Amino acid sequence: MSVSQDTRATGAQKIGSFIASYSVVITFLAICLFFAMASPTFLTGANLYNVLVNNVVMLAIVALGLTIVISSGGIDLSVGVSVDMASMVFVMLLAAGYGGVFGVTVGLLAAVAVGVLNAILITRLKISPFLATLGVLFIGQSTQQLATSGGQPIYLITGYAGAQFNAIARTSLLGVPMPVLVLVACIVVVYLLLHRSVFGRGVQAMGAQPGVAWYSGLRVPRQLSLVYIGCALLCGITGILLSATVKSYVPLSGNAFLLDAIGATFIGTTLSAERRPTVIGTLLGVLLLAVVKNGLLLIGWNFYWQQVGIGVLVFLVLAVSFGLRRARQ
Amino acid sequence: MTVQPAAAEIAISMTGISKRFGPVQALHDADLQVARGTIHGLVGQNGAGKSTIIKVLAGILKPDSGTIAVNGETVGPLTPSSVERLGVHFIHQDRLLVPTATVGEAVFLRHELGFVPFVSRRSMNKRAAELLKRYFDLELPVGILVQDLTTAQQKIVQITRALAQKASVLVLDEPTAALVKREVDSLFAVLRRLRDDGIAVIFISHYMQEIEQLCDRVTVMRNGTDVGTVDPAETPIDEIIAMMIARDVGEMFPKRSVEIGAPMLEVSHLGMAGGFEDISFSVRRGEIVGLTGLLGSGAKEIVQCLFGLERAERGSVKVEGKTLSLSSPVHAVQGGIAMLPEDRRAHGVAIDLSVRENISLASLGRYSGNGFVKRGLENQAIDGLIRELSIKTPGRDTLVRQLSGGNQQKVAIAKWLSCQSRVYILDEPTVAVDVGAKVEIYNLLNRLAGEGAAILLLSSDLLELVGVCDRVLVVYRGRLSGEFSGADLDGDRLLAASSGARGPKAEASS
Repeated sequence: MSVSQDTRATGAQKIGSFIASYSVVITFLAICLFFAMASPTFLTGANLYNVLVNNVVMLAIVALGLTIVISSGGIDLSVGVSVDMASMVFVMLLAAGYGGVFGVTVGLLAAVAVGVLNAILITRLKISPFLATLGVLFIGQSTQQLATSGGQPIYLITGYAGAQFNAIARTSLLGVPMPVLVLVACIVVVYLLLHRSVFGRGVQAMGAQPGVAWYSGLRVPRQLSLVYIGCALLCGITGILLSATVKSYVPLSGNAFLLDAIGATFIGTTLSAERRPTVIGTLLGVLLLAVVKNGLLLIGWNFYWQQVGIGVLVFLVLAVSFGLRRARQ
Repeated sequence: MTVQPAAAEIAISMTGISKRFGPVQALHDADLQVARGTIHGLVGQNGAGKSTIIKVLAGILKPDSGTIAVNGETVGPLTPSSVERLGVHFIHQDRLLVPTATVGEAVFLRHELGFVPFVSRRSMNKRAAELLKRYFDLELPVGILVQDLTTAQQKIVQITRALAQKASVLVLDEPTAALVKREVDSLFAVLRRLRDDGIAVIFISHYMQEIEQLCDRVTVMRNGTDVGTVDPAETPIDEIIAMMIARDVGEMFPKRSVEIGAPMLEVSHLGMAGGFEDISFSVRRGEIVGLTGLLGSGAKEIVQCLFGLERAERGSVKVEGKTLSLSSPVHAVQGGIAMLPEDRRAHGVAIDLSVRENISLASLGRYSGNGFVKRGLENQAIDGLIRELSIKTPGRDTLVRQLSGGNQQKVAIAKWLSCQSRVYILDEPTVAVDVGAKVEIYNLLNRLAGEGAAILLLSSDLLELVGVCDRVLVVYRGRLSGEFSGADLDGDRLLAASSGARGPKAEASS
């Protein structure tokens, strides 16, 4: 109704709408171009490989988990605990001489246990997701400190454990590093679940208006439980990849993912046409964060200034999003 | 047809107001004259221009042409705050009070008491309590928060805010939409008192009985202009409705002829402590049964139990002979029960989801295989339903937020059509829906009944119950106090039964 169809779009409008449609990609490319010019190392294969494997994969998997949770209208502040629990159990089992497959399985189950705890608090005790997962975050952090004599890291560099770690983090299939393959698998699964499945529709309905989901006969408590358990499982996968990459378990290291994952998900939400969390949007958010962090490092900004860079990025995204909305009207 | 007040008494005079939005002429040379000391109704279907002309008066929209005079003085371009300074106050449909403010803070919002820059919550609460007592004889606990008030009390607080600022004109947009009968009565008493004090009240409502009861004058709008101002004491309601829709009122409650079949919904000895006891009735194929009762009578709780929203403690419910577990809506929906809830935005449609996602939400099983949605199948079905119900939407992927109230309600109904439900429970389906959309909803009920569905209509609109239902059950103090059909079915009898006038007789019948 707002745009009459018989008016021909002028050249300027066409360019405007082109920029609007692809603005996210254009912003991303512009940032890459900037760093490529500022630092000769940025566009090298070795650096891009490093960004992908070390900065993108693990954050992206956690962010995918959070994307499901935020789609359902909730939040999970305990993603770091799920990461750490998987990592801790995995490394401790290897240290105790158990096999790699067993260690990975039980490690993932430890993460799932965190998700189950969240699910019980949220669906049975009806605690708000924010408070429930905040409580689990505190409990999880103390548990790790209690289990590691106040936070002693466990290093397993060589021997059987080292070989198991290498088998996870340093192998490739047809030239693609294993962690990247794991990420691709997670993306496909989460995309199908969230955007193509009946389950995903329920999740989005709960996020949009929980009362409507309940009045439509959806099994809301069961679906919410699966949401938090699924998120914890994805975090567990990151936990396994993390210990394999650094060949150790460092207590409380999973928390580093929390704010970045939330940031990536919301950047994705802001950029999506429907203003909802989407898998593609989240991945774009992760890429933006990873590239900016890496680029700032390469052009010699110190670590503390990187946070400023991230802050500027967030404002930039908001500005682009605002411009997009204007252009559409 | 038009009654004109004498010039000296005029509080609000809007003449020749036009407003265009792109290709849509929302107002075309519209006039509105409101006299002091009168309650002036403003009626019209959605889209007739009621809210546009009110927004022009409120200074929210700038008219393309026309003049506005307040208390005899022509005023320039209005802004929301300049209008308030002129003594014109608006009580909007969605309550616009800060939920966590105290009553005192709400009443003196933007006119706080105390030594600047400090505010004295205590003196504001005290002064507000005095005003509430003086104007409305209403005593609220001191320091109570707005969110703990009933909707009616919130309206009264809003009116108090206007009075505290010496309002001379009060504009109420659908003030009764969320109120129960008793609250409506007390609101009306308040408005009559204000009128007698010389305040001009502009009252916008979809409820014709309210207009008839309350208003001294009614301006009818249609297609962006005023089609007449009448005295409702002299002009029958049918005639006013005819002015609004420019077609015969006979069509308001469309006739139907449906063969009524075997019992579809059977409720026996349903009971819930503190709610209702020993409720037994059935609804047959093709039948529309009304259920009514005052607030707190238990009528609402009965339908909530039928849909599993509340737990019945005793009794059983069968759909097509099969006993249903009523522990949650999940079982009710699986058992073929559909529910059109009263609070459309909280429970009926998710306004931030698309038309498609809303319609298929309860029936995704039909459009999926192995847990994945088959979009082609879904799209086809959704497009079919959009056409069938003539839902006015640019497309299936439009967000429901962008549709009008009536069309949102149709989306909520389409959800259950897609589900192929057999029993439809409708909880006040035509509240805050304009006359045209009402007729469409009634037609839809008739069609559903015609296709063999059983319909239970919970409503407090007696006219609607009499016009639409085959039978009406009345609940009084938790028990069925009467059943009316055929020639017995009329508004007076329903009213008598719901207020207990026929209590003893009905207890014998159940």
